[in-house]
Amino acid sequence: MRIVELHEGEAVCVDQDGASHKVAVELLDTVRPGERILVHAGVAIGAVT
Amino acid sequence: MKYVDEFRDAKLGQVLAGEILAEVDPHRHYKVMEVCGGHTHSIYKYGIDDLLPDNVELVHGPGCPVCVIPMGRVDDGIAIARQEGVIFTSFGDMLRVPGSQYTLLDAKAHGADVRMVYSPLDALRIARENPEREVVFFAIGFETTAPSTALTLKRARDEGISNFSCICNHVTIVPPLKALLESPDLRLDGFIGPGHVCTVVGARPFEFIPADYGRPVVISGFEPLDVMQSVLMILRQLSFGRCEVENQYTRVVPREGNLRALEVMSEVFELRPHFEWRGLGFISQSALKLSDAYREFDAEQRFEVPGVRVADPKACQCGEVLKGVIKPWECKVFGTACTPEHAIGTCMVSPEGACAAYYNFWRYARQKETA
Repeated sequence: MRIVELHEGEAVCVDQDGASHKVAVELLDTVRPGERILVHAGVAIGAVT
Repeated sequence: MKYVDEFRDAKLGQVLAGEILAEVDPHRHYKVMEVCGGHTHSIYKYGIDDLLPDNVELVHGPGCPVCVIPMGRVDDGIAIARQEGVIFTSFGDMLRVPGSQYTLLDAKAHGADVRMVYSPLDALRIARENPEREVVFFAIGFETTAPSTALTLKRARDEGISNFSCICNHVTIVPPLKALLESPDLRLDGFIGPGHVCTVVGARPFEFIPADYGRPVVISGFEPLDVMQSVLMILRQLSFGRCEVENQYTRVVPREGNLRALEVMSEVFELRPHFEWRGLGFISQSALKLSDAYREFDAEQRFEVPGVRVADPKACQCGEVLKGVIKPWECKVFGTACTPEHAIGTCMVSPEGACAAYYNFWRYARQKETA
């Protein structure tokens, strides 16, 4: 998923079909809008580089 | 889309297929096992096995979390779901897994308040919104999904939410791999490593496979070209007499894993002494339970559960499928009594199960055509 916005430990992300999701990102180091992340069960577990 | 389209390029797939063909010894049969349901799904969805030489066989291991849940644990969940005042939550696939008598969806049809959630964080939200009800999350999954449960329980404790608990069925991938490698039934030449599990745990936990058992491992992504490149990397290790853990999925998997996720998991979970796996029996230290610090959130402490071991239906051969001993279509009930609509075995429930993947992508019909 791609991060669109960040709000206090949560990110609004879009998936490859364009659907929007709220994702917990506190298990990752620094994340920024525009970055792609790997999400499982609503929680980001890895960054895609 | 970036990271998707370039890994589904048909022309590049043909190039890789040619390189694989050039790499194999025509006098040798290769058996490569994948141990993640996502890989199984991808292999059948994209017909990857059709692009491989006949003497390169892909074998499906116990990598689908829904598939390895024994019936007794489903019965435990149903017993909690039927209790007065309980809102019972889990992932959609889990609700369709048969227990000894029925599924969680059947329990819902009989009046239990069973709800499908996408994330344990959704279950926690339901608990916040229903403070007068007990909300239970039936947690399943390998190390990929365990961080989301751990994070949810940490938030529940930090927020002082007392009406939320979890029946923990998280499992770990290394112990069943050891069990398979010790099995005399199965001769494997290499492993396609579970890319998403490795995102969390890193590559190190798999190093025992080349070191102790002399089999190569390639940690793989999930797009078709990822899987094909991983097969090629395994074959090249075998050709050149190398044996190590390689990482094909470098765009996602860091060698050391996700340290922050591992830290939260170690705070919330501890290893169970043993856990029953469907088809594999009891395996030592192969599953997680809540640590003493999170004991108050353990549904098995909060509710009475039957805790009875239930034998699989005699007709079902999920155990052999999960060990890679037989192919899905070789099961006696595959595609007849057991279909995704009326599953007898767990492997037919989840899209990541080998039987469901075979069935859903018409492999069964094609198998019959060529027979």
